[in-house]
Amino acid sequence: METLLYVALFAPLVGSLFAGIYGASPKTLLTGIVTSALIFTSFVASLLLFLHLYSGGERVHVEMMDWIMAGDLNVPFGFVVDQVSVTMMLVVTLVSTVVHIYSMGYMEKDKGFNRFFSYLSAFVFSMMVLVMSDNFLGLFIGWEGVGLCSWLLIGFWYHKESATWAANEAFIMNRIADLGMLIGIFLIYWNIGSLQYDVVFANISNLDITIVTWIGIFLFIGAMGKSAQFPLHTWLADAMEGPTPVSALIHAATMVTAGVYLVIRANELFFLIPDVGYFIASLGAFVAMFAATMALVNRDIKRVIAYSTLSQLGYMFVAAGLGAYWIALFHLVTHAFFKALLFLGAGNVMHAMDDELNIMKMGGMRKVMLGTAVLMLIASVALAGIYPFAGFFSKDKILEVAFDGHHYILWGTLWITAGLTAFYSFRVVMLVFFGSERYKDFGFHPHEAHSYMLWAMAPLAVLAIVAGLFEHQFFDFVHMVLPHYEFSEHTHHMVGQLIIVTTAIAVTGIAIAVFSNMFREGLFSSAFRNNFLYKLFDNQYYIPKIYDEVFSKPYKELSEVFWKQIDMKIVDATVDGIANTLYATGEETRGMQSGNLSYMLRWMVAGLLVLLVSAVAYTYSDVLLTLLQGVAK
Amino acid sequence: MLEAVNISFESLNMATLIPMLVAIAGGLVILVIDLLKGELDKSLYITLTILFLIMDLGAVFALEINQRGFFDVMFIDGIAILSQIVIIVASALFIPLAFASQKFNEYKYPEFFALFLFMTAGFQFMVASDNLILIFVGLETASLSLYTLMVLHNKDKSFEAAIKYFTMGAMAAGFYAFASMIFYGLTGSVELYKIFEVLQAKDFEPMILILVATLFMLAAFGFKLALVPFHTWGPDVYEGSSAALAGYISIVPKIAGFVVVMRIFEGLIHSGVVWVEYILYAVVVLTMTMANIWALVQSDVKRMLAYSSISHAGFVMAAIMIGTTQANSGIFLYWILFAFTNLGAFAMLWVSHKKNSTYHERYDHPFEKFSGMVKLMPIGAVLMGLFMITLAGVPPFSVFWGKLYLISSAVNADYLVLALIMAINSAISAYYYLKLVVHMFLKDPIQNEDGSVYMSNASLSLKVILGIAAFFTAISIFLVNPVLDFTSYYVAMSGF
Repeated sequence: METLLYVALFAPLVGSLFAGIYGASPKTLLTGIVTSALIFTSFVASLLLFLHLYSGGERVHVEMMDWIMAGDLNVPFGFVVDQVSVTMMLVVTLVSTVVHIYSMGYMEKDKGFNRFFSYLSAFVFSMMVLVMSDNFLGLFIGWEGVGLCSWLLIGFWYHKESATWAANEAFIMNRIADLGMLIGIFLIYWNIGSLQYDVVFANISNLDITIVTWIGIFLFIGAMGKSAQFPLHTWLADAMEGPTPVSALIHAATMVTAGVYLVIRANELFFLIPDVGYFIASLGAFVAMFAATMALVNRDIKRVIAYSTLSQLGYMFVAAGLGAYWIALFHLVTHAFFKALLFLGAGNVMHAMDDELNIMKMGGMRKVMLGTAVLMLIASVALAGIYPFAGFFSKDKILEVAFDGHHYILWGTLWITAGLTAFYSFRVVMLVFFGSERYKDFGFHPHEAHSYMLWAMAPLAVLAIVAGLFEHQFFDFVHMVLPHYEFSEHTHHMVGQLIIVTTAIAVTGIAIAVFSNMFREGLFSSAFRNNFLYKLFDNQYYIPKIYDEVFSKPYKELSEVFWKQIDMKIVDATVDGIANTLYATGEETRGMQSGNLSYMLRWMVAGLLVLLVSAVAYTYSDVLLTLLQGVAK
Repeated sequence: MLEAVNISFESLNMATLIPMLVAIAGGLVILVIDLLKGELDKSLYITLTILFLIMDLGAVFALEINQRGFFDVMFIDGIAILSQIVIIVASALFIPLAFASQKFNEYKYPEFFALFLFMTAGFQFMVASDNLILIFVGLETASLSLYTLMVLHNKDKSFEAAIKYFTMGAMAAGFYAFASMIFYGLTGSVELYKIFEVLQAKDFEPMILILVATLFMLAAFGFKLALVPFHTWGPDVYEGSSAALAGYISIVPKIAGFVVVMRIFEGLIHSGVVWVEYILYAVVVLTMTMANIWALVQSDVKRMLAYSSISHAGFVMAAIMIGTTQANSGIFLYWILFAFTNLGAFAMLWVSHKKNSTYHERYDHPFEKFSGMVKLMPIGAVLMGLFMITLAGVPPFSVFWGKLYLISSAVNADYLVLALIMAINSAISAYYYLKLVVHMFLKDPIQNEDGSVYMSNASLSLKVILGIAAFFTAISIFLVNPVLDFTSYYVAMSGF
């Protein structure tokens, strides 16, 4: 089993290094094939580990080597495969395999082909470290690793200014949040003296509740950055500058769910602080609706999906915040499948349209790319939450949890959001694949993607359809590590009605999207576009602008002051002063090096002479002193 | 009637002599080949030289630790073996630089290679003896060969350098002879261990004579190791020699010098005469600091490296002064790491050597020559950059570990101020090393050429040498522990 663990963990790293060797060479298909094969190997290893655990095997725990041994701090490089991490491993490696194969087609004309696969595999490795680590520090290393790879991949087309800007934005936003996470980790170490999950969770309940609250808050700040929760959410939409497979893998299926994973992993900690949990849930519900409204009006196909991701992450946090950890994990899994599928489909559309993203310029494309249309339709139905697609089961469970805890406001928010979700996902589908063929006016000649790309997406499509049916097996599997969530009797009776109500609003959303598109192209009339709400949504609630005014500009001005007044006049002047003094000394004394042989010999003898005189002075110091005293008298 | 002297062959313990004899035999073989058939290509001689050096190395490895031989003048202790290994390996790495693609005067003569082997033998004698006379013989054998090697470069600058080096070397030899004479007069012996025995018995009286002898010794080796104020020959000699030989001078003669100084001053520092320590302290600080400051204002890379080598030597002298086992094994660690990096830096200069320099009327390697190198020859710039930041002591590259180890040995021996001075000097040195990096990476090329000038002297074996230097510099993080175990073992075996 340990071998399997190491294979699952290190196969992506090997792939990354292999592709990295070819980083600067021209494209070779070999890098794509080798990395895909290695990721697939990792997937198979994860699958075997899963079967081992599923058949009732013990969790696998290894300590690879000692890592940090400083004073009392002892952090080994340890990895653990239990029900939670194996679920994450399966999701990560499965989606990664699909994305790797897909990328061979998607990136085929890109000059940075080898580099791309190197980064992509490095990301998978970091993500595996993140989910498999048995301590907070290892998790943090993986956390930073995925952040780095995300930065590299968002800015993959670094010659585009917007891409580098987006990459930096994502990186810096995450840095801010990571500071919070680090503080949380420090607090844990400070109060418990260890960072191993086992030790920490065994002792956490002995701590003062205030400290636990602070730890929870700081850890959640870290999770907010990675999972792009309000107010640190702006980077996710901008991250769509990266290649689409990256968006599918990193900014939909895996990395952004790391925040949710953290909350699930630390469930024993968050269990102690229900108030923080309630805050998490409220924030999640808010973000779910907030992001969905922005998705309503956006015309950029990838941004719509990005906002939808944001919204779904909100759902997950509601479940996690309310203590239904297994449901959060369940939604994480199903979401990974259909959202990755949706992104990859969007990638096909983009490719067909020569990287055009505006859905207003598309339409009627089902005639040229039927395969993609079907796949995206499946994903959208799953996202909208229609029975029996995967999204239905997990999303419905979250609504039940909210209802069950008598959090009717949360439930209401999520319920409306479910309608919005159905609407915007079908708005995209309708505008892209149905209606009149507007693309012809703009001179595009769309074509279907390679068939192997579509085949690569097929497993995701199947899972997007059926994954939900395995709800009970999933529950039986993960509840060995995750706490059980009991629904009250009251909710049990209501389940039927709840499902009907939720499905109703989803169907309504779909219906509006479909009908409005049939009768009137473009849905939003020009009068509607001047509506206050429309403007608000379209401008992302003016939040990027507010950030610019409130944080960026004052910060820049402050920096100017510091630079000109403090750095240049005090710090630089001091350093320069020291340097100039040294320099001057050098210039003054270099006369010693005249190059004249006689002088050189004189220097040697003079040196010896000085030493000799001092030797004499030292030996006869008492005699000399008396002599001097005599002279003085 | 003189009695016949009967000495059994076994008592001579000829094994102790074999390494040097191999080198000397190698030199003679080369001369004989030249006599039999002249005008042979240099590559034959280079290969022969390397071959004999390898055999020499084998003979060193065959030595047993802590034995004496040849009328007890040979003294093979741990540091003798260790330093011979360093000397031979460094020589074997520097001699392939003769495979330069351009033709140079000195390599036309087989005598160059013969002298090179004699010189190596001379250095080996220096380190493998505690007899003042044999040390002197080794020192002079090596020095006289070295002067000649420099002259063979056949340029005005090299004549000047060799004459200066020779004249000052003669004076240093005089100092050495004078110091030995006083020691002999005081103790009736020229064997270091006996000298210290007798001095101990006499309770270091008369003090003044001992101090005078010590100072003469210090002046003699101050010259050899280029300690301030006996360093003045250094930059001129580096500039006058070819870059290949300059690199050699910065490494091999110094390690031989260090070993002798360790042998001589070990006894004196522990004699309880605090004054000797003060003087050494002053010389060490002066050497580190002043050489660094002078290096700051150089406009030629080779001269800059010359001064910086002086400063590095000061660093190592500090360890000799500290004199603990940790410091002494640190010396060898430092010098081994430094040797590879300096080899790389000087080899880079050698590779870019062009007969008619157009950059500066006086200097071969002004900083301007390397301006914008990264645009013309990125690999070369990266290599040179690697060597520079390594010399500056940036982790995780080699010299950093040496500095770390020496500074920690200073701290452990309670020389806190010294440790601080060492650290400050490392900081100063970063300035001038990075100056070259800035020139290479941040400035525009001054002459619009292709990058051919940087490789004008390159050949396959030069590139191999560069590769070796870069490889060991880059992976040094993995080498530090094994090397340190190795040096500590030998140093501890000889009781230093």
